[in-house]
Amino acid sequence: VRTADVADAAKAGVLLFVAAIVQVSILDDVLVLGGTPDLLLVTLLLIALLRGTMVGAAGGFFAGLVVDTATLSTMGLTSLLLTVAGYWIGRYGETTGRDRSHAPFVSVAVVTVLYAIGSLLVHFMLGDPAPAGTVFRDVWPSAALNLILTWPVYAVCRRLFRAPEWTERAQEVQLLG
Amino acid sequence: VPRNRTARAAVLAGSVQRSAGPAYPSKTRSVLRRRAVLGTLLFLALVLITVSVRESDGGALHRIQNAGATVLRPFQVAAERVAQPFKDVYGYFDGLASAKSQNKRLRLELEQARQQAIANVSAARDAAQLRALLRFEDSPRFPQNYRAVNARVISFPSGPFQQQVTIAAGTSSGIRLHTPVVDTGGNLVGQVTRTAPTASQVTLLTDPDSAVSAVDLQTRITGLLQHSSGSALELDRVTKDVVVNKGDVIVTAGTRNPRYPDLYPRGIPIGVVTSVGQTDTDLYKQIQVSPFVNFSRLDAVAALVSTKPVPNLP
Repeated sequence: VRTADVADAAKAGVLLFVAAIVQVSILDDVLVLGGTPDLLLVTLLLIALLRGTMVGAAGGFFAGLVVDTATLSTMGLTSLLLTVAGYWIGRYGETTGRDRSHAPFVSVAVVTVLYAIGSLLVHFMLGDPAPAGTVFRDVWPSAALNLILTWPVYAVCRRLFRAPEWTERAQEVQLLG
Repeated sequence: VPRNRTARAAVLAGSVQRSAGPAYPSKTRSVLRRRAVLGTLLFLALVLITVSVRESDGGALHRIQNAGATVLRPFQVAAERVAQPFKDVYGYFDGLASAKSQNKRLRLELEQARQQAIANVSAARDAAQLRALLRFEDSPRFPQNYRAVNARVISFPSGPFQQQVTIAAGTSSGIRLHTPVVDTGGNLVGQVTRTAPTASQVTLLTDPDSAVSAVDLQTRITGLLQHSSGSALELDRVTKDVVVNKGDVIVTAGTRNPRYPDLYPRGIPIGVVTSVGQTDTDLYKQIQVSPFVNFSRLDAVAALVSTKPVPNLP
């Protein structure tokens, strides 16, 4: 394990912890046109986009635990959803999403909608209240708010994390002579 | 600087002789590791969900979660304090926008309340005298027999699935399961559904599983108050032969009905009737109630700890 990887993991951990605390303490109370900005989801996705699947999945699991602990809700539920979201966007970053300027915005918009649907399904399966109408009505303003958050959060993440070195790039180039 | 090469063509390594590599190429190893990590984390999350749902509130995982919540509480309180000035500024300008119309309405309400208060003073005096004459044994009364534990709200419902908030006071402050919770104006917010030493989870009235035995203050008609849609409530189980008027105030009934055991003391204000309707097919009236509490603007609440023993149902 390289020192740079450990430093990246520590930075990601701190950033996600702060985002989780801000989300549950402040932003969950903010309602704009029926939508609520999700700083934690945006931060996780952008870190995953920059650092790949491992950091995305582990960061999602850790952030979910913080949220579930702070809100005294069902443990593991947010972790499950954020782990999948982090892994998926990490994979996108490692493959087709690399070097594309629109990747952060596409990732945040798509995952905000899918995350809402995933939450709906998980809560429905657990027998919790799952108001599909409310979810599908509120997810659009939430996605718009998350897109607004994407630009500043991505700027912070780009500053904090070094340029990615994806393992799936061409491995060897040899000069013949 | 002379370069020690005989040819300058660069090609991909596919056609180049290479030394024998490891049993698994690095790419395959990376894929396997990645999937193993994902699988492990998902498995752990599912185990946590299963244990969390199935075990009792006193179980090991819940105890760990409570300890974790205690550790996280200072961070939440700090974040809340940092955000408070910004919330206040927003609230100030938000209030200015509706101040004029609100002022007019409040003046009208104040005049009505003043007249009502004069009538209430003599009625209360009569009631106290009669109660003393009858040696009337009462259940704990709100607010006389309750001690308010004031607490800040440190986490809010995350999305439409959750109708719970977490408050910064727990069993160490005397809060127990089912402790009623009111807002700063004394209006009903909900009840405590989970406790930790320094934090508690409060389930709001807007939770679909919440039900409160309620009474119309003007007509004394009782019903069951449940969540309707959005932040609206519905007074159910009111038969069509009784009269309920728009504008009537609904308060907690405080009854100990075995079918709908009421956890709330009598007389906590809940909301005002906004519409009354009925259909030929329904057994009951459809009564919409607008709550006094603004559930999206809960900053601080008071948990009502009874100072008098609550009677148990036989």
